[in-house]
Amino acid sequence: MLRPLPMKHVRLLVLADDLPQASLTLAQTESFHPDNRPPEAEALREAPGRDYRERYRQAAARLEKIAKLVRVPEAPDIGQVHVVHPDELAAVGIMLRERWNQASRFEESFRQLDEEERLIRDQEAALENFANLQIDLGLLRTKTRFLDFYVGTLPRENVARLQGAVQLADHLLYKYLERGDTAHVIIVGPRGEREAQLSSVLTSAGFQALPIPKDLADKDPARKRDELATRQAELAGQREALGDELRLWEQEHRGGLLDARRTLLLAEPFVTLDPTIHSAGRLATLAGWVPARAVPELAERLERELLLPFDLTARDPRAEERHLVPTVPVKSKWLAPFAMLVKQYGIPKYGEVDPTPLFAFTFMLMFGSMFGDVGQGAVIAGLAWYFRDKLGRFWRFGLMAGLSSVLFGFLYGSIFGYEEILPALWNSPIHHPILMLQIALGYGVAFIVVACLLAIYNRLVVRNLSGALFGHHGMVNLVFYLALVWGGLNLAGSGGFGILPTLLVIASLAALAVYAWRNLDAPVGEKILVVFIETLETVIGYVSNTLSFLRVAAFSLNHAALSIAVLTLAEMMGAAGHVITVILGNVFVLVLEGGIVMIQVMRLQYYEGFSRYFSGEGHEFSPLRLGDGAPKTSAPARRS
Amino acid sequence: MTASAQSYLNTRVSAMATALLHADAAPELCRLTLPEIAERYGLNALLDEQITPRGRARAAEQALLQRLLTDLAVLVRPMDSDGRGLLLAWARKYALFNLKTLIRGKLHGLDQSEIRENLFDLPERVRLPHQELYRAENVLELLRVLERGPLRIIARQARESYEQRRDPFVLESAVDQRYYAELTRQSLQFRGEEAQPVQQLLGAILDCTNLIWLLRFRFSFGLSPSETFYQLVPSKRLLHRTRLLELVNLESTEQVLEALPEPLDRLLAGTTNLIDAQGRANEHLLAECRRTLARGRSGVSRALAYLVLREQDLRLLSMVVQGRLIGLTQEQIDIAANLSAPPTAPDSPLGMAAAA
Repeated sequence: MLRPLPMKHVRLLVLADDLPQASLTLAQTESFHPDNRPPEAEALREAPGRDYRERYRQAAARLEKIAKLVRVPEAPDIGQVHVVHPDELAAVGIMLRERWNQASRFEESFRQLDEEERLIRDQEAALENFANLQIDLGLLRTKTRFLDFYVGTLPRENVARLQGAVQLADHLLYKYLERGDTAHVIIVGPRGEREAQLSSVLTSAGFQALPIPKDLADKDPARKRDELATRQAELAGQREALGDELRLWEQEHRGGLLDARRTLLLAEPFVTLDPTIHSAGRLATLAGWVPARAVPELAERLERELLLPFDLTARDPRAEERHLVPTVPVKSKWLAPFAMLVKQYGIPKYGEVDPTPLFAFTFMLMFGSMFGDVGQGAVIAGLAWYFRDKLGRFWRFGLMAGLSSVLFGFLYGSIFGYEEILPALWNSPIHHPILMLQIALGYGVAFIVVACLLAIYNRLVVRNLSGALFGHHGMVNLVFYLALVWGGLNLAGSGGFGILPTLLVIASLAALAVYAWRNLDAPVGEKILVVFIETLETVIGYVSNTLSFLRVAAFSLNHAALSIAVLTLAEMMGAAGHVITVILGNVFVLVLEGGIVMIQVMRLQYYEGFSRYFSGEGHEFSPLRLGDGAPKTSAPARRS
Repeated sequence: MTASAQSYLNTRVSAMATALLHADAAPELCRLTLPEIAERYGLNALLDEQITPRGRARAAEQALLQRLLTDLAVLVRPMDSDGRGLLLAWARKYALFNLKTLIRGKLHGLDQSEIRENLFDLPERVRLPHQELYRAENVLELLRVLERGPLRIIARQARESYEQRRDPFVLESAVDQRYYAELTRQSLQFRGEEAQPVQQLLGAILDCTNLIWLLRFRFSFGLSPSETFYQLVPSKRLLHRTRLLELVNLESTEQVLEALPEPLDRLLAGTTNLIDAQGRANEHLLAECRRTLARGRSGVSRALAYLVLREQDLRLLSMVVQGRLIGLTQEQIDIAANLSAPPTAPDSPLGMAAAA
């Protein structure tokens, strides 16, 4: 489970006419991860299928735009798989262009309704303003013999410029209201030659005229408001009618749109493979990565479905291209949430140990030991189960964390902070603090040793021998660390560090220093400084990293101490107060301490674990595939 | 910006400024052959016979722009949000070039690949949401898409104007006007010691732009004073609001040139055509940038001055490349580089119209 799935590099040589079929077949196998590097053969420099790609993109774009207006399922059942001929794609593109022309008219009509509604709101605001004025604004409704009036709105930030512009046409601009980004203005000036200049400026400024209510002079704003409300109701009616019309249109064209979606899904693999495909004349090549066990099935399928001759070659990845090989992610649904957390750090490089199973095990171990309580663990597990639909794949993570907490709760004999109800199957942390600290330290040593071993393994796999021996957390580092632990144990037991551990520590540090010295290209003074600091950092780093694991014990003690505090407070209350304090105290512990413990465990995993052995520089296996509605093992494809 | 960031930025700008062309290096540059340009500036695509001349010119232009954008990325790194905002707003002109290309492409019914070939490849924080814009089937749809992004106000205004007048000029002038208005807005965000030098330099940029726009709109396109004024962006320096109101109301180029404030009146005295006026105004701006670069203390204004000068150098280089690729004579290249005057300078105002 820790080892990656072996991969093969495959190269497929086909005749250009068979490219759409080959792409479709590769997508159906769901085992082909495209390799976009240019081919080694200089002759294969052409990029075929450009028109096909353009047609596809245009058609897909149109369908996406239509799908924003009416429902077009993203992954319909594809039904009969067939190769999409360029002419078929072009026909779909033309059909979608017509549909989009029709659909965009609906869109435009909805926008016009929005605009009209906005205008009514502006009119209502204007009415509110006009009603408070003590002049007959009805006179502004029409131009007089000598005066020219404009009442309307424009974007607020255009007001200053328009003010200058109207001034040049001998007009005045008065802003009487601001609403959001819009300003309401009145422009007034003499009629004459310069009046004509204004209209184009007003257009450029985004000016929208607001009709002044006819009967404003009658001072009956309530009636006017009713009229606007009626108009608003009319617009709502129009919106509804337009919606009905759109639904009818949708029903009429649903079949055609669905067929277009299917065609595009079938054409997609060829387009996706586009950067991978290179050709010379009628000969085309495409390359990719395939899991070794899937190669025979791929060859068999191509044999069955390609009509023209082809050549498929498969080989092991070369040493220099290992960084390009994709890694197939862990498939287990129980490990999936942990894989997501690992992914936050990076994807394992091909050949590297996949840390997910180890991560899952140590995560549960540390979380449970730091937050061991039967009751609180059961609450976490119960909540994860209850909200499993909302939590997606993370509900299993919550469930396992809760169960781990329950398990350690039984070991510690703790339920909702009470330590007298359940008999401890092992020990209560608060009563054996030294033991807990010793165990945490031992766990830390084991964790670091395993991390170093994995780091050594990962380098050996890629034949990085010097890195495995002398690199960070390599063999010499491990010898140093084990000698340090050995000496430390001696110091704690007999009082002396011991000769052999001392010699091992000195020898390993000397080896590291010599290695660093030889690999450093710098003046002597700088070399001395760097080697001294690096050596010191090695010693300090391992000691502090080991001590870092004391937090595992510290949090288990902290958990018990917090529970005692809550129960002490509860003891001071009456019967009802006791229950409320215990409940609130447990909620507090669950939320606050639960969160902190989670962060601490992640920190130990990422910093003390991953930083030693996991580069995270790989990339995920992402095979070419058809839409989700496509049959995975369909009947042999036929040409349309 | 902290004192250390300011020092770092100033040092960076000074180091980068050593690569700028000297004011008198243009004639030498204009005489370089294509192989010499390719070797000196690492533009190997220029010599690739497999690519069409247009493709080579395009590749060179893109490579040169990339250098400018790399410099920009280095300069904005130590800046605070105000400085970064100003420089990115300045660089967004290339996104607006792309926008204009898209608009023109849609207007003339070009296919997507043809439009794409003429677009600049820009970094994430400068570019427009291209993919969505490509998908638009016509100008109005394109502007509708833009209305959903950061250019919302420009797009809405442009669309409303376009719906009423169906004139691409309205669109493009709205885009340009908003670009400079945004630069002004960004410059007004500065407080403290940075504010004055930044606003001074931006004022010089706006003065240069306003002057050319004023002459072009008013006398080449024949727009009314109101329409002309509306397209301008008053600066905080020479061509401020009141002065622009006076200038646009004048009736001839000569009257405008006479009424210009010091030192623009002196610089533009005797100008007979718009190209000449543009060249002189541009020289004035470049001189201002060189002054800021040499004597300024504000990191942001020096960085902006550097970018303006660098852009000018790269534009000159790009112009020589294009001239060589399409087979222009040395004389024609010199005229294009403003190194010599055209053989017969047209008279004003016809010259202005011809130049526009």
